[in-house]
Amino acid sequence: MTDRLRALALADWFGLLVVVLVAGALLAFLQPAFLSTYNIYVLLLSFSLWVLVALAQMVIIAIGQMNLSVGAIGGLVAITFAGTMEVWGLPIPLAVLLGLVLAALCGLFNGVVTHVSGISAFIITLATLSIFKGINIGITEAQPFYAIPDAVKAFGAARLGGVPYMLVVPALAIVGVWLLFNRMVLGRQILAVGANRHAAELSGIRVGRVVVIAHVLSAVLAATAGMLAVARLQLGQPTIGDDWLILSFAAPVIGGAILAGGHVSVIGTCLGVVIVTLINNALVLLGIDPFFVQLLLGALILAAVMLNRWRERRREALA
Amino acid sequence: MTAVLEVRGAEKSFPGVKALDGVDFVLRAGEIHALLGENGAGKSTLIKILTGIHEPDRGEVRVFGQAVHFANARAAIEAGISAVHQERNLIPRMSVAENIMLENLPQRLGFVDYAEVNRQALLWLERLGLEVAPERAVRTLSVAQMQLVEIAKALVLEAKILLMDEPTASITPHETDVLFGLLRQLRDQGAAIVFVSHKLEEVFALCDTVTVLRDGRNACHAVPLAEIDRAAVVKFMIGREERVAKLGTKPFDATATALRLEDVATSFGHAGVSLELRRGEILGLYGLVGAGRSELAKALLGVGHVTGGRVEVAGKEASIPDVTTALHRYRIGYISEDRKAEGLILIHDVASNIGVTIWRRLAGMLGWLAEGRVRRAVAPLVDKLQVRTPSLRQRVGNLSGGNQQKVSVAKWLAAEVDILIVDEPTVGIDIKTKTDLHELIWQLAKDGKAILLISSDMPEMVALADRILVMGGFRVLGEVLNDHDYGRMSRAIMAHIHEAEAA
Repeated sequence: MTDRLRALALADWFGLLVVVLVAGALLAFLQPAFLSTYNIYVLLLSFSLWVLVALAQMVIIAIGQMNLSVGAIGGLVAITFAGTMEVWGLPIPLAVLLGLVLAALCGLFNGVVTHVSGISAFIITLATLSIFKGINIGITEAQPFYAIPDAVKAFGAARLGGVPYMLVVPALAIVGVWLLFNRMVLGRQILAVGANRHAAELSGIRVGRVVVIAHVLSAVLAATAGMLAVARLQLGQPTIGDDWLILSFAAPVIGGAILAGGHVSVIGTCLGVVIVTLINNALVLLGIDPFFVQLLLGALILAAVMLNRWRERRREALA
Repeated sequence: MTAVLEVRGAEKSFPGVKALDGVDFVLRAGEIHALLGENGAGKSTLIKILTGIHEPDRGEVRVFGQAVHFANARAAIEAGISAVHQERNLIPRMSVAENIMLENLPQRLGFVDYAEVNRQALLWLERLGLEVAPERAVRTLSVAQMQLVEIAKALVLEAKILLMDEPTASITPHETDVLFGLLRQLRDQGAAIVFVSHKLEEVFALCDTVTVLRDGRNACHAVPLAEIDRAAVVKFMIGREERVAKLGTKPFDATATALRLEDVATSFGHAGVSLELRRGEILGLYGLVGAGRSELAKALLGVGHVTGGRVEVAGKEASIPDVTTALHRYRIGYISEDRKAEGLILIHDVASNIGVTIWRRLAGMLGWLAEGRVRRAVAPLVDKLQVRTPSLRQRVGNLSGGNQQKVSVAKWLAAEVDILIVDEPTVGIDIKTKTDLHELIWQLAKDGKAILLISSDMPEMVALADRILVMGGFRVLGEVLNDHDYGRMSRAIMAHIHEAEAA
């Protein structure tokens, strides 16, 4: 029985890996261009950005909340990053730092207001989504910043064969977040709070502190995605982040996260991003109407949630 | 007497487990029939079959002589079977009356007739002796009150067959008496009642017949309780003689005060609470529901706060703003009465649940937590408490109730606290584990921990406590020095409660 349980636990991401491999093989068979260096590069480029977005949401899912403002924070930081370099002539490291600090403040605001008011993060971040986006539009008047330093542009375009340099950033983030949830007290505390807030509190965990830190972390990850988007697009586009929301939930959920909190899978989330990336890519490669992306993504989320529910039922039945 | 409910050769398997293996059960009109068994014996599965939650793989179920196949819980209710489940099934934001009447809300012109809802609900609240307004939201009730609402909800259907799964797990002796009076009345009117309980005293006080399950089979079948004694029932349940808790003697140093409260008031509404707890001592807090015992514990821990008076830990004045401080600075731990909601993280594994209190201590630089260190800290406790789990990675939600409770005790043993507040440690726990836990609590005190024992289980209180404080209305009503004589102690305790009621 334990073997079976172990196998089921493995299935958290193992099944996804099989899906990825089969889909990859199928695509390679249908369209040889799939395996071309350039296509791999394109895939990894989208993966780089989206995995950060997905992780940003995953951290908040872990505490059993939702962060609707990931995109708005990413967008605000993106234009701040681009704007301070263009208008104030800030050196790149300083602009990056400023972007991260700004994001931390946004996250701090989300976290503190959520915790102190006791109102659900869904509502709070719905409001801050609008606030952050409003500031973004107010500053930019919806016009992009074009004067991006060459070094940033170069970083955004550089690649080694099929591997974009940019991939370094999400790779570090993935390792960092994995270590956080699997090897660090803070990560374990985040999961404990997400799974059972009362029990966590009565076990001596400072719930408020954990909630606030999770929000800060989420915002910083979103900000990193925002700044990478600037490097990739080669301009400070105010609309960066507008289309992140669905993906940010889709990947963690496909990856086996429990929306009620307390259980997330970093590897599963990464594979979730890969699957979404593959779908996008397949539709382009096979010349299918891109509007199907939305439809398929929705169907995939539904399927993933159903699968998780079914797995949960089986676990209960085993108990 | 006619059989109103008949189960023949019921079998039910879950992946890897045969929960029921040919169980027979016959319930007759006008009897209260005890269904007993240790955790995992198959009681819950049988109840779930009778209430339409599970379908048996094999065997037949007859209700009033008709073979039935319940497709869902609704079908069972329509067949005339009403149940009080072990889990809460109330809607917190709805009123007491709405919850009670939910199966059958009275309507007028297509609208819910709330006056009628409240009127009918009030009838049952009165019969159960529950003094709450029918309009009150269920979420504002205490655990015991919720339990009684749950019972009212089952009674209101006026079914001929009533299944009660641990209905007294969280209510007081007085409320239990009222409930039993009502159940006897229903029996005398011809209802057939199945009563599941871990408290054998209750079974012998209330029931007429007993069926015991063990390992998914009948250990006995419909035996009149007049014909057998407690020892025989226990033998059916555990397959051998009952082991009596070996407690021995436990001298303690009367001068080493671990915790002292002087005239303490709290944000929950306590006033003038004074007590002294010494190292090596077990101080009992007995009281009816709403006496403010768990709340006092929570105020001390920093979940609520102390608003007046003086709290001393180990001789020094203490101010405890939150649980983190209580645990790490003052070394106070709290084993919650509600292990599912407050004590454990059911979706996490055994290692995490026990380790949660010591992560901070085990962590290296930058909060680095090596899995091996946690396992090495946790494994000896799992052995010591004999937690039955396939591995440390097993989800706690998959363990039996008794083993879950052991895990929630283990986490505070891991924390190595000096003062341990134990809140209703054996509610819903099987006999063997209960004995284990009693011995453990005793041993902890013997090893020098100061223990504050909150319990509504009078035999448990009399067995374990050195002194018993009787609480009521968020005050201390009196103190009883325990000489472990059950009759004398229970009279002394009840005298304090009645004195307060009379005043």
